[in-house]
Amino acid sequence: MREIIAAPAPGLDLRHHYGHHQTVAVRAGGLIFCSGMVAVNPDTGEREHGTVTSEARRIFENLKLLLESAGSSLDRLVQVHAMIYDRIEYDVLNRLYRQFVPNAPPARTVMSVQIEAGFKVMLDVIAAA
Amino acid sequence: MGLQREIIAPKDPALGVPRNLDLPLSPAIRAGAFVFVSGLVAIDPAGERMHGTVATETRQILAAMTQVLEAAGSSLEKVVKANVLIYSMLEYNNMNEVYREFFPVDPPARTVCGAQLSGGSKVEIECIALA
Repeated sequence: MREIIAAPAPGLDLRHHYGHHQTVAVRAGGLIFCSGMVAVNPDTGEREHGTVTSEARRIFENLKLLLESAGSSLDRLVQVHAMIYDRIEYDVLNRLYRQFVPNAPPARTVMSVQIEAGFKVMLDVIAAA
Repeated sequence: MGLQREIIAPKDPALGVPRNLDLPLSPAIRAGAFVFVSGLVAIDPAGERMHGTVATETRQILAAMTQVLEAAGSSLEKVVKANVLIYSMLEYNNMNEVYREFFPVDPPARTVCGAQLSGGSKVEIECIALA
């Protein structure tokens, strides 16, 4: 079964705010597949451009809201694609990252890519439901 | 309650890269029917980053991936999706020639991208496999 997961806060619905043709997350086969998340205000949807640290913190906070609303949590992440705008910030990302997944961290691949709308970080994750 | 989530540690301590390099990730996670393997880069038998050609790095990575998957009770034959990152798409064929040796029949779904990699590696490969 394939179940659409609704945005847990109005600002996280990128389809509504920016016309992205995507769902926030889909649950299937006991797993939750999330769309790539960028730093937006969870109440207003306002883009919050900042440093790698501030963007990654906002994304993790939003991800926590999303996963917990779907009956999962940050502790249940299984795979993370961490995309950053420049690999030179790899250690900056790691420093913030380990605060949010301190124990038994998920499988991860870090990629240096171009991210939408001038963001510096995007997290694309799969979690156990 | 949802799926069980289990950390997979390879038997060979040299392949415990997250621990050896103090990185906040696990080599692999088993969740339900699947094993999710982190992006692997080429590591020598002492556990240090191995810098070689695209062909030698690809071979080293897929040998390590075999061991990580075996630690999870899986194997290369059970890989459903692989993502390959290489530092230059000009080297696509050099990667592909080695890759096909490891997946001789019915290869998994795959995406290859040219990307900037960390630590001077030329190749990084991650996968999702059936447990």
